[in-house]
Amino acid sequence: MVSALFNFVQDHGGGEESHGEALGADFIMHHINDHVLWEWHPFGFDLSITKHVFMMWIASAILILLFSTIFRKPKMIPSGLANFFEFIIAYLQDEVMKPYLGKDSRKYAPYLLTAFFFVLLCNLLGLVPGSATATGDISVTTGLALLTFLMVQGAGIKKNGVVGYFKGLIPPGLPVFILPIMIPVEFVGLFTKHIALAIRLFANMVAGHVVIFALLMIIFTFKSWAVGGITLAGLLFVSLLEILIALIQAYIFSILSSVFISMAVHQDH
Amino acid sequence: MELLLPNLGTLFWTALTFVLLLLILKKTAWKPILDMLEEREQKIKESLEKADAAQKETEEALAKNQETMEQAKKEVQELLSKSRRLAEATKEEIVQKAEEEASKIVSKAKKDIALEREKAIEDLKSQAAELSIMIASKIIGKSLSADDHKEIIESSLKNMVEAN
Repeated sequence: MVSALFNFVQDHGGGEESHGEALGADFIMHHINDHVLWEWHPFGFDLSITKHVFMMWIASAILILLFSTIFRKPKMIPSGLANFFEFIIAYLQDEVMKPYLGKDSRKYAPYLLTAFFFVLLCNLLGLVPGSATATGDISVTTGLALLTFLMVQGAGIKKNGVVGYFKGLIPPGLPVFILPIMIPVEFVGLFTKHIALAIRLFANMVAGHVVIFALLMIIFTFKSWAVGGITLAGLLFVSLLEILIALIQAYIFSILSSVFISMAVHQDH
Repeated sequence: MELLLPNLGTLFWTALTFVLLLLILKKTAWKPILDMLEEREQKIKESLEKADAAQKETEEALAKNQETMEQAKKEVQELLSKSRRLAEATKEEIVQKAEEEASKIVSKAKKDIALEREKAIEDLKSQAAELSIMIASKIIGKSLSADDHKEIIESSLKNMVEAN
């Protein structure tokens, strides 16, 4: 991260005090924004492989390698890594799935587990110097939220039927004259919670990184050992906080997905 | 603002990556591990139930043992007291019988003695008569007829007995 900063400062003619502020903002945005690694435009669509896509692939590869190895032939008495991850899975089952989905939790467990671990690993990989945070990209979080949206609609329609599901979106027993208001409200509500899901994850991850890069910039703006020392302590603190936020956001994404699925399946409450 | 607008290409890759990851993990990781977690839960539940049942059984067996033991004790006590009573009764019977026998023997002996005595007296009587006749004839020097003798002796004996 630091060497990248040096290169960046040199590339952009750093050191001139007058450009300090603009340079800082540029530096931060440079690390938040995505970068195209490989241009590809089939049929006029922009399907370029970007750094964030690449990071997702790394996360996926790690997850597949890790979980396929330790969970391919699970033992009755687990040990080592399998034990550790089984504990996490059991915890998620008890806290994220069973309270909301009950008997259906087994059906939606693969989706929710994949979402949790994928988001968690993308969050954590973003803390590795030189990497990028895929979940700090609104395109990625929108993609994930879109999948949860499809999961929710699919679960609701599967359980209640097409007509039953869309009828159940509007609370029963409402006076007819309220319906013209309620139908658009519920229709918008169908999307807003998923949009919020995307923005929540994106904003949390970006905010942490903005703070980290801003603190880094302070060191190079002031060029003082004293300020550098204090900032370093702050950096360490924010980085540790980021690890916590990485866990919390992965947990929130999966628990909200679980709650949304449960709301679509059990429309009576 | 660029930061807040989703890039459709990245969105597409996100969805594709995630769906593929989900399908692969579902097959290679989630299914085996979720099955195992379920199986383990079942097994733990069964083991606990079994342990509970075993404990109950043991407790029952213990209670039964204790009951049997108590009953056996009671029976032994009963048997003991019964035999003690029997022994006491037998002892008393034997003693009584012995006493009876003893008294019977004593009374028989008394009777025999009395009879012997009577006989001896009778013998003595007849011998005394003959002896007295002999003496008398010797003294008188003349013999009396047998009938005379008898008469004399019987009258004197009668006197003797009465005097006695």
